[in-house]
Amino acid sequence: MNGPCPRCGHETIELLFTSPVPGVWDLLQCERCLYAWRTSEPARRTDRAAYPASFRMSQADIDAAPEVPSIPPLRSRP
Amino acid sequence: MPYDDLRGFLTTLEAQGQLLRITDEVLPEPDVAAAANAAARMGDAAPALYFDNVKGFTDARIAMNVHGSWANHALALGLPKETGTKEQIDEFIRRWAEFPVAPEWREDPPWAEHTMDGADVDIFKVLPLVRLNDGDGGFYIDKAAVVSKDPDDPDNSGKQNVGIYRIEVKGRARLALQPVPMHDIAQHLRKAEERGEDLPVAITLGNDPVISIVAATPMRYDENEYELAGALRGAPAPISRAPLTGLPVPWGSEVVIEGVIEGRKREIEGPFGEFTGHYSGGRRMTVIRVDRISHRTDPIFEHLYLGMPWTEIDHLMAAKTCVPLYQQLRADFPEVRAVNAMYTHGLVVIVSTATRYGGFAKAVGLRVLTTPHGLGYAATVIVVDEDVDPFNLPQVMWALSTRMNPEHDLVVVPNMPVLELAPQADTPGIVHKLIIDATAPAAPDHRGNYGNQVRDLPEAAEWLTRLRELAARH
Repeated sequence: MNGPCPRCGHETIELLFTSPVPGVWDLLQCERCLYAWRTSEPARRTDRAAYPASFRMSQADIDAAPEVPSIPPLRSRP
Repeated sequence: MPYDDLRGFLTTLEAQGQLLRITDEVLPEPDVAAAANAAARMGDAAPALYFDNVKGFTDARIAMNVHGSWANHALALGLPKETGTKEQIDEFIRRWAEFPVAPEWREDPPWAEHTMDGADVDIFKVLPLVRLNDGDGGFYIDKAAVVSKDPDDPDNSGKQNVGIYRIEVKGRARLALQPVPMHDIAQHLRKAEERGEDLPVAITLGNDPVISIVAATPMRYDENEYELAGALRGAPAPISRAPLTGLPVPWGSEVVIEGVIEGRKREIEGPFGEFTGHYSGGRRMTVIRVDRISHRTDPIFEHLYLGMPWTEIDHLMAAKTCVPLYQQLRADFPEVRAVNAMYTHGLVVIVSTATRYGGFAKAVGLRVLTTPHGLGYAATVIVVDEDVDPFNLPQVMWALSTRMNPEHDLVVVPNMPVLELAPQADTPGIVHKLIIDATAPAAPDHRGNYGNQVRDLPEAAEWLTRLRELAARH
């Protein structure tokens, strides 16, 4: 499916699920930032233009995201 | 009588006028979360909410705010719904004295009625997930009791863990889980990752109300949550073995999700509106592969709204943050009278204590920082005298107003650990911590000009009773 993702603007979007009552809503997910949304949600969550600036995410944000928890070193094997 | 499952408790809540059924059709978003957000603003007797007419779903059943008030919390413990906050905490302390009460293995768990395996796993077919807050990165599970074992000591039931962690749903069989480094599951994961292994987990949803309470209790690493559930229930907690992982899970769960935290893997997660009343930023977090889902017929999805305090999570965590801190402090300092760690899961802790000599209160305050929970919380500790009730905030403010000299009574301990969600830290996970000694100086500390304290007149107690009786007649 084509985007853009409301949060990061990426163009590749996946269909996660569709409403059990046909045609009411779809659950979508951005392939890049993994933001997920339901098409029946308010525009502030589903429309790139209306998505709040403070919640937006870029590729640079994803790259700089801290690792939680950090991955420990492997134990040395005897 | 203890509850063996969520359904039994919902029946009691409804009978006690503590459950509202929302029968009109609602949108999954923003209605379900907005209603639960609003319920949290209804005060100490706020009801649970039950939705069964959610647009686009054919058979969604969602329970929100089940522990979302002191009235519901009292009923969860089998107490009258009018029981006061302090009385509920005192009762919790009394019942903890019975710990440990071994769980009871029980056959034929109702969640074994339906299963999905391997490629058939699709969490969206089982749970009517909804977004909570605008900036959340997706749909979350935030009230599940997650079971795991210590990979270095898997037969030690004390070191197993049952805890509530935030879980983002990222796909039909893919989740993310946040292990705060101070929490037990983070120790399990660390050991598994050091060994180069995955960590098996069982995520149990829709539990009897005491399971949710013990899963939110910061117990010691080697203490078994089911054994505390038995003490709180006054009867052994019924458990069953999860079919794929063999992990011990509640007998009465609505849904049991089994899989592994994939070792040494991280992926973008969040943000999520957290219990601090702030969003956590996007972080690269663990990934869970789901291999099996078991569930009851017509499962109820129990979910929790959290945001600007107080919300359900504060009620769920309040008493059980106070009690283990109280127990652990009392083990070293029997002078401790009470602990109020109800605010933001104990990022602020208020301790009431007798003081044996000058400087004693500061030592008690410092001890708070080295308790298991204090390591990750307790950014500010206020110590008050034994005649101050730490649950009575006007009294605490009086102690701060008159028994604290900023020149002498503020102890700042630099660069201490705190959970990474604490927004005040410059470097996430590291913060200076503050002890405020709001006790009157004791010998040989003779600072200040205290003289005699004004106390309630000896006859006032009798007059209080008399005035209340008079008032009740009007």
